[in-house]
Amino acid sequence: MTITSEIRSSRPSGRGPLRGKVTSLEVLCLLLVLALVLQDWLVGVLNVPQLRTASTVFVAVCVQAMPFLVFGVLISGAIAAFVPAGALRRLLPNRTALAVPVAGLAGVALPGCECASVPVARRLMQQGVPPAVALSFLLAAPAVNPIVLVATAVAFRDAPMMVPARFVGSLLTAVVMGWLWTRFGKAEWIAERALRKLEEKEGTSRWLVFAETARHDLVEAGGFLVLGGVFAAAFNVLVPTAWLEALGTQVVFGVIVMALLAVILALCSEADAFVAVSMSALPLLPRLVFLVVGPAVDVKLFALQAGTFGRRFASRFAPATFFVAIASALAAGAVFL
Amino acid sequence: MRRETQNILLILLGGALLKLSFTDMYLRYVKAGLQPLLIAAGAVMILLAVIAIARDLKGAKDTEDTAHAGGHAADSHDAHGHKASRSPWMLLLPVLAVFLISPPALGADTVNRSDRNAAQETKKGNGFAALPAGDVLPMSLTEFVTRTAWDDSGSLDDRTVKLTGFVVRKNDATYVARLAISCCAADASPIKVRMTGSGFEAMPTDQWVEVTGKVVPGSATKDTAYVPTFTVSDIAPIATPTDTYES
Repeated sequence: MTITSEIRSSRPSGRGPLRGKVTSLEVLCLLLVLALVLQDWLVGVLNVPQLRTASTVFVAVCVQAMPFLVFGVLISGAIAAFVPAGALRRLLPNRTALAVPVAGLAGVALPGCECASVPVARRLMQQGVPPAVALSFLLAAPAVNPIVLVATAVAFRDAPMMVPARFVGSLLTAVVMGWLWTRFGKAEWIAERALRKLEEKEGTSRWLVFAETARHDLVEAGGFLVLGGVFAAAFNVLVPTAWLEALGTQVVFGVIVMALLAVILALCSEADAFVAVSMSALPLLPRLVFLVVGPAVDVKLFALQAGTFGRRFASRFAPATFFVAIASALAAGAVFL
Repeated sequence: MRRETQNILLILLGGALLKLSFTDMYLRYVKAGLQPLLIAAGAVMILLAVIAIARDLKGAKDTEDTAHAGGHAADSHDAHGHKASRSPWMLLLPVLAVFLISPPALGADTVNRSDRNAAQETKKGNGFAALPAGDVLPMSLTEFVTRTAWDDSGSLDDRTVKLTGFVVRKNDATYVARLAISCCAADASPIKVRMTGSGFEAMPTDQWVEVTGKVVPGSATKDTAYVPTFTVSDIAPIATPTDTYES
């Protein structure tokens, strides 16, 4: 593994990507000046109802998700700085097959939405937790934590069985994906940079490691989160939701349509129950599929995973999760609904 | 992307979050309850960037040599991770959106994207409380629509009600509408009441209004997709409220 030192290589005195030429700093200044000069023109161009809606949704998705991402990178920084490598592995059962469900249940302890769990899962892998275990934590955390379950209970007052159904469906998704990764997953699918540690000189204070790791993760994951926000806003305006809702009244169609809607709407897992409950024309089962698929895979999450673990990983993991989540939701629905 | 540029972007983004939360602009995008979290997130972003900048300034001198020594390793890293290092540029988009464009709260366009009328969809389990007395009853659109759809006692018939919302037009019909959000504007769902009578023709779409009038009894049925009809006796334009959403 190449050992790199982002910190050193990119110090002011260090070598920029294009030494002696234009650096990103000048590009940023130019972009800011251009944006200021063209402000009126930009506002004019965006003054179309659809574009206004899209830009509001874009800012809303970013603003809503940022606190949770910050929370996630702080935890990720704390894991990198204060948890000795190998300590987590000793806490978990030795056999990966057993550690996977344990990690899934541990997701209960991270009360955030999906944006928080991606950087945390990555740090877990760095600290020696087997990828399968970290991935099932990644999938379980946004869906089975108490905040999300309470929100689901409040939204579905008239159908309280949705809460255990969602819990079991999401946990099943996480555990099955963990086992599938144990069996079929290849370590080389995960980009090397995801597992690389920020190298620090010996004796660097742990708090500095904490701050630097959090900052690094925030900048990287933040960019991809924004990218996901762009997609979510575009789909929000381009996809005829009303038409999809009408189509979804049939159960089989409904399951497919709601699973796709969950992916493209990219709702925060604390809010999706309220959206699901408002689609009262649909039977409960498709709405359960919506709640189980949403926190496990959506466009925002796909962008984050591709950025964190690499595109080779995301293009395999996300589709697999999509189908496993639908199957798990149907199984949970058969038991509880 | 250079580390200094990343830090500047982080400060800008943190500043954008702080600006939103201190000016009530955040209410266009998220619920009021998120304000403390937004302030904390913005502060943490700025703090992390400031720590990194301070550290760079302090360490600039003694890295001069190590940077050259470690130059080779850094080269191979850059070739490998070049794609990833461009992602932070995306952080500029929300910064520009907030500071330059500051998109307005959602309005008529969003209402017309769906045929749903959200409020009536959750049936009240424990019945409806008696309405307070008084000549004109101010009421949220959510409560109004829920009552017209589910309250069989006719408690609203012959009561004069005052509703607040914005004007929406679709296929010759004019509505007074609002959006309900449960987390952020991406999950907004419409609540609307059809207006009959007169006075609203001149109002532009998206204009905020207070309408006084009476419900047409039995107008919120399955055939009308539970959109009640409201006979307008008086309509007045008002300024856009700070929090445009109902929950």
